[in-house]
Amino acid sequence: MKKILLCIVFLTLIGACSSDNEGVEPEPSAGLKATFERSTMLTNWADNIIIPSYDAFSLELDALNTSFDTFKTDASTTNLIAFRASWLSAYKMWQRVSMFEIGPAETLGFRLNMNIYPTDSEKITGYIVSGTYDLSLSSNRDAKGFPALDYFINGIGADDEAIVAKYNDTDKDATFTYVEVVLTEMTTLTNNVITEWKTSYRDVFVANDGASATASVDRLANDYIFYYEKFLRAGKMGIPLGVFSGTTLPQNVEAYYQQGTSNELFLEGLSAVQDFFNGKHFGSSTTGESLASYLDALNTVKNGEDLNNIINTQFNTAREMVAGLASFRSEIENSSLPTEMLLAYDEVQKAVVLLKVDMVSAMSISIDYVDADGD
Amino acid sequence: MKKLLFTLMALSGLIFTSCESDDAPPTVVAIAPNCTDNVQNGDETGVDCGGSCSPCETAVDPEPEEPEIENPATYSFLRGADNTVSFGGQTTRLQMGDEIISAFKTTTKTKAELAAMFTHEEGAMDFEDTELNTSGKNMRSKTAASIDFFASNALGQAEIRADFDGYLAAQVDEVFPNWGVTATPGVAGQIPDGSSTRYVSALGLEYNQLWTKGLIGAMVTDQTLNGYLSPAVLDAGSNTEDNDAGTVAEGKAYTTMEHKWDEAYGYVYGLNADKADPNADLGADSFLNKYILRVEGDDSFTGIADEIFQAFKLGRAAIVATQYDVRDEQAEIIRLKVSEIIGIRAVYYLQTAKSSIDQETPDFGGAFHDISEGYGFIYSLQFTRKPNSTDPYFTKAEVDAFLDKLMGDGDDGLWDVKASTLESIATDIAAGFEFTLEAASE
Repeated sequence: MKKILLCIVFLTLIGACSSDNEGVEPEPSAGLKATFERSTMLTNWADNIIIPSYDAFSLELDALNTSFDTFKTDASTTNLIAFRASWLSAYKMWQRVSMFEIGPAETLGFRLNMNIYPTDSEKITGYIVSGTYDLSLSSNRDAKGFPALDYFINGIGADDEAIVAKYNDTDKDATFTYVEVVLTEMTTLTNNVITEWKTSYRDVFVANDGASATASVDRLANDYIFYYEKFLRAGKMGIPLGVFSGTTLPQNVEAYYQQGTSNELFLEGLSAVQDFFNGKHFGSSTTGESLASYLDALNTVKNGEDLNNIINTQFNTAREMVAGLASFRSEIENSSLPTEMLLAYDEVQKAVVLLKVDMVSAMSISIDYVDADGD
Repeated sequence: MKKLLFTLMALSGLIFTSCESDDAPPTVVAIAPNCTDNVQNGDETGVDCGGSCSPCETAVDPEPEEPEIENPATYSFLRGADNTVSFGGQTTRLQMGDEIISAFKTTTKTKAELAAMFTHEEGAMDFEDTELNTSGKNMRSKTAASIDFFASNALGQAEIRADFDGYLAAQVDEVFPNWGVTATPGVAGQIPDGSSTRYVSALGLEYNQLWTKGLIGAMVTDQTLNGYLSPAVLDAGSNTEDNDAGTVAEGKAYTTMEHKWDEAYGYVYGLNADKADPNADLGADSFLNKYILRVEGDDSFTGIADEIFQAFKLGRAAIVATQYDVRDEQAEIIRLKVSEIIGIRAVYYLQTAKSSIDQETPDFGGAFHDISEGYGFIYSLQFTRKPNSTDPYFTKAEVDAFLDKLMGDGDDGLWDVKASTLESIATDIAAGFEFTLEAASE
């Protein structure tokens, strides 16, 4: 606070003694506004990151649908492998859009409908047998989306041969139909989100450039931190590790049926989080106004070091630690105390405090969600 | 603060005018506020007085006064007619602890049953007290779980929880089968301690003591000092704003900040009969409360029970009065005093055991019992908190080194322990605190 005050005074003094005689108003907020425009950041987020990422995700889904059609026509091992590759590629791209749960994504419950895991394979099997199901029901979120596809592509049989056999036996039509319903819903939801971003929400989002609890920056920053804390940190690592339950839950890893994919998805998610923090344009190394540049503009330091650097360093440390792990499933299943993965988790956790306490207080953003600590 | 801002703005405004005065029309001449202009300006708090002028004669309120702290005689706080003090979850966990302590001596209990009591899930029939069964609380989830020490230390948390799981399991695996066997070096079993009988492991440790005294640190102290009394908890989210405005938690009579403080209080006084006046029956549980009473009984520390209670009470009253500096000062007092309770008891048991060992016929039963209690208190040191710091009095590594040393005089653990080892650990612990070895040994 004292630092800000000093800044204000300093800037007002400069303003007061500036050479032009236009009568510069010594308005306290003038200094900050001059160095950082929230609206520029919002534009960068919408036009260079969010919408291009959604577009890329949509293309991935198209490719996934195509591979599925090929597999459906000829359920061979080769086509299964191709279908699986498209699934993984789309699942990775999903990690780059999952954090944007705002606007149409929020209204539609995009994340909840696309990626709830563990998936309930028993429920899915029951639906295939009965042929009666409504996947739009909220109670069926654990029977669709990427995790359900994981089951169909990797978990329905012990190996590729057994999996392919499932798509050639007498029940195959019901199975194909189910996968098709899942894919269609994912595609429709995605199209709806993108269309609304492009036709109306983009402008609403960018125009809402104030600084209040309902302004776009405050809201997306909250969504971003919420995603990092609850979905990246807890969902992908903490919950399976048993950090919250006391017992390890290996069946709760993302992409349970394909060993090692959980790690890959986590790392992609972490990179997406870091890229967003740095305002990196999608598919390019160019950066624009971002949370990082905002912190720099505010000249935020913690213990004498630039907070922007501290946060990036922490992301990098976390990435290195996670990259060194065996598959999450084996880390958790093979040890009652998954030491290495817990240590990696701690590094992931450390960024929560930096974002949720240090960063937001510098930006005067209030955290709009509370942790239930179960007292 | 506002005054400062005003002053600075006024000051910079002056410079602004002076820089521009060359071009300014002569009618807009700015005159610096002074003490004789018959206007309240500048930093004056009245007309031509206060601030940098001479003090005002009549007390014009210089700034809005902070509400006064109303410190009640007992820990009793109301909002209107409603009681605002609530800590049912803490009471429940302490009650669960008492049942688990007795289960340690129920040889028919299985490992799964003991584990289920510690990790209780709502509705499971783990306890004799059926009300506990309906609770969704358990002890294990609050073991090594404070925000300050464990939010970014999932590995440490898992290791510590594994220790407590291990004590429960080892009691069933090692001690129950030998319940009717006399303990000898390397053999678990029973050993007399005066008129009592103790049940120890092959190394002479009483697992129930390790578990109970260890949880005084890992649950009670950690939750209190490093959790609920921490600004990270008290000031989380909109707590400060809400408490300033008197906005209560949804459906409750208390603000969230008030409640967090009360939950700290609940870990210390959750089983006292009169929860507003807990020192009337101090020693109501088997955890911290009992040892506040013990230390209070040592002449060198008489008064400590009241100091802890008064700090809790004043801190809570300060929250009501939105005086957070006072609140935090009280939290530091509690951190200091509760940490001392643990340090004093660790030293006390080591010194008592030393006397039992250090005689012609060593009293192993008495020594093992005291050392087992001491072991738990030493373990608990890693959850203490030095005031105005983020550190415990002894780190986990230091604690582990103490315990290795304690068990390391020979292959048979406590059967081989030397009086000099006990003395040396006690000395090192006392050196970390402000009390003396002698004072704690009484």
